[in-house]
Amino acid sequence: MANSKLRLDLSRRSFLAAAGAFGTVGAALPRMALSQDGTVLTLRSYSDLQVLDPAFRLSLPEDDIIRSIFAPLVIPQAGDIWGWKPIAVDSIEQLDDVTVSFKLKDNIGFTDGYGQMTAEDVKFSIERIADPAMESPYAGDWAALKHVEVKDKLSGLIHLNNKFVPLWTTTLPTPASCILSKKAMMELGDKITTKPVAQSGQYLLADWQPKQKTILRRNPDWAHEPGGFEEIHVIPIEDPATAERGFEAGDLDYTWTSVSSLPRLKENPPAGSVVLEKPSLAYVWLGINQDAEPFTDVRIRRAVQHAIDRQTVVDAAYFGAASVGNGIIAPGLPGSRDSVTYDYDPDKARALLAEAGATDLSVTLDILNQSERLTAAQVIQANLAEVGINCEIKQNDSGTFWTLGSKDGDYFMKLQLVLSRFSMQPDPSWATVWFTPEQVGVWNWERFDNADYKALHDQGLVESDHSKRDEIYKKMQGIMDESGCYVFLTHEVVGAIHRETIAPGLKPNGESLFSEFRPA
Amino acid sequence: MLNYTIKRLALAVVIVSVAMFLLFSMIYLIPGDPAAVALGPRATEAMREALRIKMGLDQPVWVQFWNFFANAWTGDLGREVLSERPVSHVVMEQLPFTLALIAGGITWSVALGIPLGCWAAVKRGSWADRVVGVLSVAVIAVPSFVVAIYALLIFAVTLRWLPAIGAGEPGSAGDQLIHLILPSLAVGLGWVGYIARMVRASMLEVLEAQHIRTARAFGLPDRMITYQYALTIAILPTITLLGVGIGQMLSSAVFAEIVFARPGVGKLVYDAILTRNYPLVTGAVLVTTVLFVLINLVADLLIGALDPRVRSRF
Repeated sequence: MANSKLRLDLSRRSFLAAAGAFGTVGAALPRMALSQDGTVLTLRSYSDLQVLDPAFRLSLPEDDIIRSIFAPLVIPQAGDIWGWKPIAVDSIEQLDDVTVSFKLKDNIGFTDGYGQMTAEDVKFSIERIADPAMESPYAGDWAALKHVEVKDKLSGLIHLNNKFVPLWTTTLPTPASCILSKKAMMELGDKITTKPVAQSGQYLLADWQPKQKTILRRNPDWAHEPGGFEEIHVIPIEDPATAERGFEAGDLDYTWTSVSSLPRLKENPPAGSVVLEKPSLAYVWLGINQDAEPFTDVRIRRAVQHAIDRQTVVDAAYFGAASVGNGIIAPGLPGSRDSVTYDYDPDKARALLAEAGATDLSVTLDILNQSERLTAAQVIQANLAEVGINCEIKQNDSGTFWTLGSKDGDYFMKLQLVLSRFSMQPDPSWATVWFTPEQVGVWNWERFDNADYKALHDQGLVESDHSKRDEIYKKMQGIMDESGCYVFLTHEVVGAIHRETIAPGLKPNGESLFSEFRPA
Repeated sequence: MLNYTIKRLALAVVIVSVAMFLLFSMIYLIPGDPAAVALGPRATEAMREALRIKMGLDQPVWVQFWNFFANAWTGDLGREVLSERPVSHVVMEQLPFTLALIAGGITWSVALGIPLGCWAAVKRGSWADRVVGVLSVAVIAVPSFVVAIYALLIFAVTLRWLPAIGAGEPGSAGDQLIHLILPSLAVGLGWVGYIARMVRASMLEVLEAQHIRTARAFGLPDRMITYQYALTIAILPTITLLGVGIGQMLSSAVFAEIVFARPGVGKLVYDAILTRNYPLVTGAVLVTTVLFVLINLVADLLIGALDPRVRSRF
């Protein structure tokens, strides 16, 4: 009897009705973060991958994927202190100023049948980036390299031409130390684009859906500390607001946030999530082209320095989330400063303008068309108006903006004021290098040209004493102040948000390290 | 009909050729060095120059245009600058997402717009007619990106009924359909208003026609007169409108693709313009132009097939 009742209940119509009901209920239930079962981590990157070759990578998200699929010698250490952590090596140490020894772990294999990783692969991978014939944009990372000596199957020595202090901060802990299979690369005969060959990392690239998703899957043959998740799904979302909505809707487990959203998110974080605020290494400044009229007169440049209320500019642009910066080197690094040599003093600005005989000045300020930049530019415009300088703001899309000061174009001599932002690696030389005389018309758009500055930059590259480096880089920023070409604004902050169920692996500046994410 | 078809095809070829010329001219007027943008700050001048040569930017503009034009007619859209993948391959990967989005938008606009327009016409002068009129203008006036943002905030963030980002798992039609609901609503909602107003106006005209009066005089049911006799005629201008509407939806798709982080041709072109990836911009815009022209061609041919008066003019 019971059986016949059951049979009646399971008619086609009732089955469809039940399925429909389950579907409706399922759709109506709050959607959950995928990582809650501990197997899949879904996070956002700001761009899709285009090149997976360590020698030709284009963006930070690619760095993360490359580091995950091609085992590097070391990676940056996750946490609040800059450092590094060994990945492919059992040991690596500096023997003297120009020699580094390494010994690989014994059982790291390449996929696709390319065998075990050896010291010969290390020699090939490092010398490949340094080789001028390769024309790698990252050749400078290994600029001091003499050669790599193979001692035996797993050991070798990295010989340098000269002492190179950034080696341990901005060369080894980057994809510049990722090891490729020599055999696979010789067979490929070209650079890697979007199809990796002979992967060796904690994760493998399982699938790439262009503009949609990159799936990294744990490498089953990785015999060392495993990645924290079975799969990492990397979703390319350029717009931070879209990513924030995606997080709030439960579609992401981790994302960077825009600085302007930080106060709102900190005050009212989505349920089950943690909002992070990390110091950034970036630096934002108002640049003044010293070769463009009327700024050829240093008194007018100085007048601009005194006219800008930096605190108000930063408060307005970043909603109080960021602090005023005093140079190009972020707090925590050698050379970071507590103050600049010019203060906000409109009277002094007016006096300098009068002394220079400048009246009814009209200038242009070029910016990238982003909301924070526009707000900052509008405050600068108001500040300049107070001292009698009429300022027109010119917004540019990124493709145009990044060529404004280039000597190859025809705009560089018309460029007067420019609001810029650069990011950097955790070594002060990464900030100072862009303002050397060689960079005039390349990335030095202020056309600041100072031989003492250049000499100090070169000195900083070989000086390993922390306090001496601190002194060198402070002196360099002092020279920048004196030139009148720079008004330093902020180092910004980095905002991020993640589920309570995960422990994100982040560098001290908030940049992600995919392979270091773990379930909480 | 053959004459009509040949003339429409010839016109389509001319439109595509002019579009190619304008497109090529426009992108070369935009300031910015694609090699510098593509290679980033650490590239040397020699590297940038090598890339310019590789992209053919060292050649005179007319040579570049001729190469582009000649290759495009053979289906070769060149190679993407950085990944070096064929542009046609990159565009075709993204095209289905945009087509699905537009199909979804059309579904929303037709499924809601036609019944609302009919209802308003049948209830002419009533409160229902006035409400439909106000709603139609309201949805036409709201930009698609505003619809996208509000739909996302309400249905994805607050209610969590639908996903906020992505296009769904490949191979899972159900998941892809769920991911399509909000973006297609954003793209299609404005067209609900256009279609409702168009159908209402056409219906009012047709409902006054002799044959409809005759049908009424014979005592045929209202439902049959409205949907079987009047709507089949009143729907014709809507087909033309949809042909144009698809072009508009292609531009709205850019916003929907950005707001919902969906893959698609709109976002592909947007990203490519920002990075001055010329081969990708030209290839993707050319494909969408051809698509738009083809859709309008189909709409024209459909109208010609359905309405002998149109055919007789050619």
